[in-house]
Amino acid sequence: MGSTRHRNMLGRRWRGSLALGAAAVAGTLMATACSTPEGGGGTGETEGPFTIGVSNGFIGSEWREQMLSELETAFGEYEAEGIVDQLVVESADVDINGQIQQIRNLIRSDVDAIIVNPNSPTALDQVFAEAAEQGIEIVAIDQAVASEDVVNVVIDQAEWASLSAQWLADEVGEGGRIIAVNGIDGHPANEDRWSGASEVFDAAGVEVVANDYAEWDQNQGQTVTRDLLASNPDVDGVFVQDGMALGAFRALQAEGLVDDVVMTGEARVGYMREWDAQRAEGDYTSIGVPNPPSVSVSALHVVIRMLQGEEFTADGLDGNNAWLPIPETITDDTFDERFAEVSDENDAYAVDHALTPEEADAYFE
Amino acid sequence: MNLLRGTGTRDLPGPVRSLLSVHMPALAVGLLLLVTVTASAILQPGFFSPYGLSASFATFLPLATIAAAQTIIVLGGGIDLSIGTIVTLSSAVSVVLMQGDDARLPLALAAGLATGAACGLFNGLVVAVLRLQPIVATFATSSVFGGVALLVLPTPGGEVSPVLTGTYRMVLAMYVPIPAVLLVVLFLSWRLLRGSRYGQHLYAVGGNAEAAYTSSVPVSRVRVLSYTLGGAVASLAGVALLADAGAGDPTLGTELTLGSIAALVIGGTRLRGGSGGVGGALVGAVVLSLIQGLVFFAGVPTNAREFVYGCVIIAAIALAGLLTARDGSASGASGGTR
Repeated sequence: MGSTRHRNMLGRRWRGSLALGAAAVAGTLMATACSTPEGGGGTGETEGPFTIGVSNGFIGSEWREQMLSELETAFGEYEAEGIVDQLVVESADVDINGQIQQIRNLIRSDVDAIIVNPNSPTALDQVFAEAAEQGIEIVAIDQAVASEDVVNVVIDQAEWASLSAQWLADEVGEGGRIIAVNGIDGHPANEDRWSGASEVFDAAGVEVVANDYAEWDQNQGQTVTRDLLASNPDVDGVFVQDGMALGAFRALQAEGLVDDVVMTGEARVGYMREWDAQRAEGDYTSIGVPNPPSVSVSALHVVIRMLQGEEFTADGLDGNNAWLPIPETITDDTFDERFAEVSDENDAYAVDHALTPEEADAYFE
Repeated sequence: MNLLRGTGTRDLPGPVRSLLSVHMPALAVGLLLLVTVTASAILQPGFFSPYGLSASFATFLPLATIAAAQTIIVLGGGIDLSIGTIVTLSSAVSVVLMQGDDARLPLALAAGLATGAACGLFNGLVVAVLRLQPIVATFATSSVFGGVALLVLPTPGGEVSPVLTGTYRMVLAMYVPIPAVLLVVLFLSWRLLRGSRYGQHLYAVGGNAEAAYTSSVPVSRVRVLSYTLGGAVASLAGVALLADAGAGDPTLGTELTLGSIAALVIGGTRLRGGSGGVGGALVGAVVLSLIQGLVFFAGVPTNAREFVYGCVIIAAIALAGLLTARDGSASGASGGTR
């Protein structure tokens, strides 16, 4: 234990000098006033060219890929006009702490505006306030946030879910029994969607016999659906959110239930191929409500107008939400036409829609 | 390191050699800190501005605190994979009680701390008394704590008291952010613990539990307490996260677990236990955070960033490992500077 003694001696010496140092520092600090610093950030100019920052906290989903690539394309058009000069993208799988750091990095990169797909509707409030203090305009996409410093450019997730829920309720009828495959428990978009869907089911007298989560992942969607079907064999329908419908379909297929159990679909090419194949065989019916990745493009149109000093009209902004229209639902009646438009895309492609610049103008005075 | 010890230090006089061996881990992480700070100063605009410092330290503190918590557990020969969810659960409890009201802050903080300590105690009992493998046991309890956090705070929300967020962003004397002061306080508290009888027991149990047992060290009690302390310190990371975020979220902190382990390894703590210290882990956490920022400011293309970040972390851990790796008696001494 010789080394232990050595360590202790060293430790004592360190402690002594450290304590002294700390006392000195503390003394100095007490004597001076406190302050809250502000950084360099945007300068509130309205001339441009503007630098736009993007913070995306979740990757590895094709939807997010599409969101970013469509944004880059639209940015290129504004760049050609000389309105913007640089797109700084922060995109990685991060937790909330990591996304706070992403946004701070953008602030320190002197961006004029930030487009954020937030990992939390509330826990980024502080860092949004930091950015806003420095004159940076912030828009949130995909997921609305509470902060008053942010304009949400989003679809109404509750309404989005209620569209397919209503269709399913009509299909199974009053007293129908369904299972639900949702996204991530506690995730705000998931909660909004499920509250919208639940309301519809309650009103229609549809019984939700089981509800589980598959993290918006096709493979997990398949597993979860299979397990739910195994424990609840006598259901009439499946409510499944987007990103998991193809998986849910495969589970139904494996159990031989495609013709007996009706399910909500999704406006993504992989599922639509199956839908197409089933239509060729018989009277398969489904629904797909698009959740467009190009909300990023809509947000770019909006934020550039904010940077140019335009003011929202009274109708343009509801609280801090600039609601986007939910794109037209794909139904059995419109399927052939809609599928033809996207059938060349890969399976992961989501049916898309963005505001045109003219439609964006309508939000402003 | 064998190379260095084999040829480089063999001819050196004894005292120099022992000095080198004592300071090597500190040297390694110190070098990493120097490199990352220099690179940040060059690459990041306004790194040393008041806002730059305040933003940086606000980001360092949660990771540094959870790294400190993990280090206490690892030193005692354990590991805690549930530590991120302990942060989540304790922050959820705090924010639910806080309700954005300054008057309720003390109650909320106390409840958060108690929650963290209780989670740690639970882990400690499972590991030390039921004798389950820590890595599996705490992996299981992480689901338990994460699940309870969702029950406490089903959806994101809950306002943090303005005093807490305000204080966290304050800067003293123009250039000293409050989180930096808290980092120093954390280190000094560790020095107190380290110097105490319990601190010695912790190293003894982590280094060689059987030998410690025969020297009548209460091994199980030391282990249980290390988990409990770790849980309590982890709850402080939850407070820092709440202060930084301004609101609660049922996923806050969950992903910090692996970061805490990476930070302590960079900081020269051995995962087998009994060697290393919190000081190194704190610096390791700072290095880890700085590297993350550097990858961004160095202009690495978005899609390559994760890859580059991972490679740099491996390099940092390898460097720390090369300069730290040693066996037998020298390993005891390597904890000396912490």
